[in-house]
Amino acid sequence: MPVRPVASWPPLAGVAVVSAEMRGPPGNPPGHAGFPSPTARPPPSLGLVRSQSPARPRPLPSQPVRPVLRALTFQTVLQGPEGRPGCLPGTVAPAPGSGNVAQEQSALVGLAFRRRVAPVDAMAVSPALLFVDRNLLARKQNARLDRQNDLGWKLFGKVPLRENAQKDSKKIQKEYEDKAGRPSKPPSPKQNVRKNLDFEPLSTTALILEDRPANLPAKPAEEAQKHRQQYEEMVVQAKKRELKEAQRRRRQLEERCRLEESIGNAVLTWNNEVLPNWETMWCSRKVRDLWWQGIPPSVRGKVWSLAIGNELNITHELFDICLARAKERWRSFSTGGSEAENEDAGFSAADREASLELIKLDISRTFPNLCIFQQGGPYHDTLHSILGAYTCYRPDVGYVQGMSFIAAVLILNLDTADAFIAFSNLLNKPCQMAFFRVDHGLMLTYFAAFEVFFEENLPKLFAHFKKNNLTPDIYLIDWIFTLYSKSLPLDLACRIWDVFCRDGEEFLFRTALGILKLFEDILTKMDFIHIAQFLTRLPEDLPAEEVFASIATIQMQSRNKKWAQVLTALQKDSRDVEKGSPSLRH
Amino acid sequence: MASATDSRYGQKESSDQNFDYMFKILIIGNSSVGKTSFLFRYADDSFTPAFVSTVGIDFKVKTIYRNDKRIKLQIWDTAGQERYRTITTAYYRGAMGFILMYDITNEESFNAVQDWSTQIKTYSWDNAQVLLVGNKCDMEDERVVSSERGRQLADHLGFEFFEASAKDNINVKQTFERLVDVICEKMSESLDTADPAVTGAKHLPTPRA
Repeated sequence: MPVRPVASWPPLAGVAVVSAEMRGPPGNPPGHAGFPSPTARPPPSLGLVRSQSPARPRPLPSQPVRPVLRALTFQTVLQGPEGRPGCLPGTVAPAPGSGNVAQEQSALVGLAFRRRVAPVDAMAVSPALLFVDRNLLARKQNARLDRQNDLGWKLFGKVPLRENAQKDSKKIQKEYEDKAGRPSKPPSPKQNVRKNLDFEPLSTTALILEDRPANLPAKPAEEAQKHRQQYEEMVVQAKKRELKEAQRRRRQLEERCRLEESIGNAVLTWNNEVLPNWETMWCSRKVRDLWWQGIPPSVRGKVWSLAIGNELNITHELFDICLARAKERWRSFSTGGSEAENEDAGFSAADREASLELIKLDISRTFPNLCIFQQGGPYHDTLHSILGAYTCYRPDVGYVQGMSFIAAVLILNLDTADAFIAFSNLLNKPCQMAFFRVDHGLMLTYFAAFEVFFEENLPKLFAHFKKNNLTPDIYLIDWIFTLYSKSLPLDLACRIWDVFCRDGEEFLFRTALGILKLFEDILTKMDFIHIAQFLTRLPEDLPAEEVFASIATIQMQSRNKKWAQVLTALQKDSRDVEKGSPSLRH
Repeated sequence: MASATDSRYGQKESSDQNFDYMFKILIIGNSSVGKTSFLFRYADDSFTPAFVSTVGIDFKVKTIYRNDKRIKLQIWDTAGQERYRTITTAYYRGAMGFILMYDITNEESFNAVQDWSTQIKTYSWDNAQVLLVGNKCDMEDERVVSSERGRQLADHLGFEFFEASAKDNINVKQTFERLVDVICEKMSESLDTADPAVTGAKHLPTPRA
């Protein structure tokens, strides 16, 4: 059987997979060229290891991806029956189009992560990015090595049954590893990501352009010509695609560099000018503008702490005391010993225990996508500590769902004790107190004040909401309780927090109006349930700039009255009108 | 059937007035018994172990066909924490059906059923229909509430009873469909007896509209 070495079979075989299929059956004996045939036997020897391979395990194909399987089937065609160097499954690049599944998947993983932890939020995201980058680099090197080591390949051979393909490839891998004497690394989807920016499709010309083995009937010239043409078209297309992709990446990179530079400058300003002169600087025009742009993650925690303040004079020692108490309670709670010393402010032991239990349940239900608050995650205990300490510090408030999100955002930006101090002071603000104590009357007053500005800023939408009986509590409860951290992407939520720390509660309601305005056109076309559904699950890809541009257009001024004045007036009214706490209005 | 939830921005059906009836349904029960999972299984046929806790209230809309009628279900998914009750009970008004849920692996959530049922009686419309659902029946190993006890309690309270699993998709669709059927039965009953002249959706107590 003639063996035809092909000079290069680089791993960028995307095109090749398709061409193999496109070759189609004409003139192909059964069992060739990737078309499985029931009569085909597996090649006599499948333990094909590239003789010159360095002792270095190559990435395995990422799991379920089908195109890879298809590629594998084809790959086995390339392995000669006599055990000539074959191609390891790991080197198979995804097929074009569908074949980028692995790449897309990992891109999705990246996106999913980034959505919650902002690219701006460098603190949280950088390890992940580093990890990805390292993997990509490794892959790149591998690819280069592959190219150097590709000495020769056998082109045609017997095809195994398609069903066997996967098993066979595993076997190949196994034997390869045995020889290489290394344990297999678990396949990672990231490893299939092709990152090298050289966009030349380095596919084989062999299948199309090289002569066919002597045992096959010759291709008719016409057909050969057609195939050549098809092949060239594919190459042109692939080149175009890759060129576009490269340009897109370059633009992205430039954009990122610009962003990073401006963040870097902002960090300097904050550190060198603002923070040392906080008292005099913080309300200056310049700082206010800088603030609106978003506080750089590295100084964000400090600025938040300063802006929230510590009216309650909580010290680190107090935190330790509260935490120690909380721990004591957890112990007595878990051992079943009920009734510790204190009978807290009229709350039953059952309620307190329920509250402790609930904290446990909620911790892992806080930003589950981030995977850092789950049992065993790096911040699980921290979050538990802060919430537990708070229930000891303020037993009259206790734990209320929504708090875990606020504590989590603080933990991402501050050390534990400082996070606790910020947390307690934040919750002590009038608006937060009203909500977390579920003071109905006061909550209604806040909603009423909100509606005043709603009508002022968005009269048309306001009328539409009224018509549909859509009261603000439907969406504001979630937004205010969690300070937008649950409903907005985390990076955007942090930027809302930035300005919330600067402007106070008013900004929470201004943000709500900004969001409503941003979607005014869509919302006016919806009915009650769709509006409710939309607003309680906002689109996941809200661009921060658009949201802030929209918020900027909202005037928190109604007939020359500011937020605080409107609120106070309404509070006075409600006190005058009635004493009984009404239920939420419908 | 296509649901408007598929397209966030598009919202083709968003202002869809093309339905015969609209039912408001609430899912209630203790925290973390699986209300949101149950709803997502039904509305989106999806399940993730990583749901965030519900703060306040969540919504889903789903349109189904029953006896050649298009029924739009407004499903309200409420926060389970006791503290939120003052907020959530305000939403009971106008609800035509309730799914009262407990977790078969959590005794406390089962013990709370009686209490929830009282809340329903206090705050909702008299004709509201209730189904008792013991969720997480896939976790047989950790079961602490037997089916028998669930059934007995349901009988005692006069509710129909299902054990279900949002995770393994057991009895989820059936629960909602049964609830819709029960509401329909009740509706035609009251239409027959109370006011035979009334027809059509207009006279149904369409909540909040």
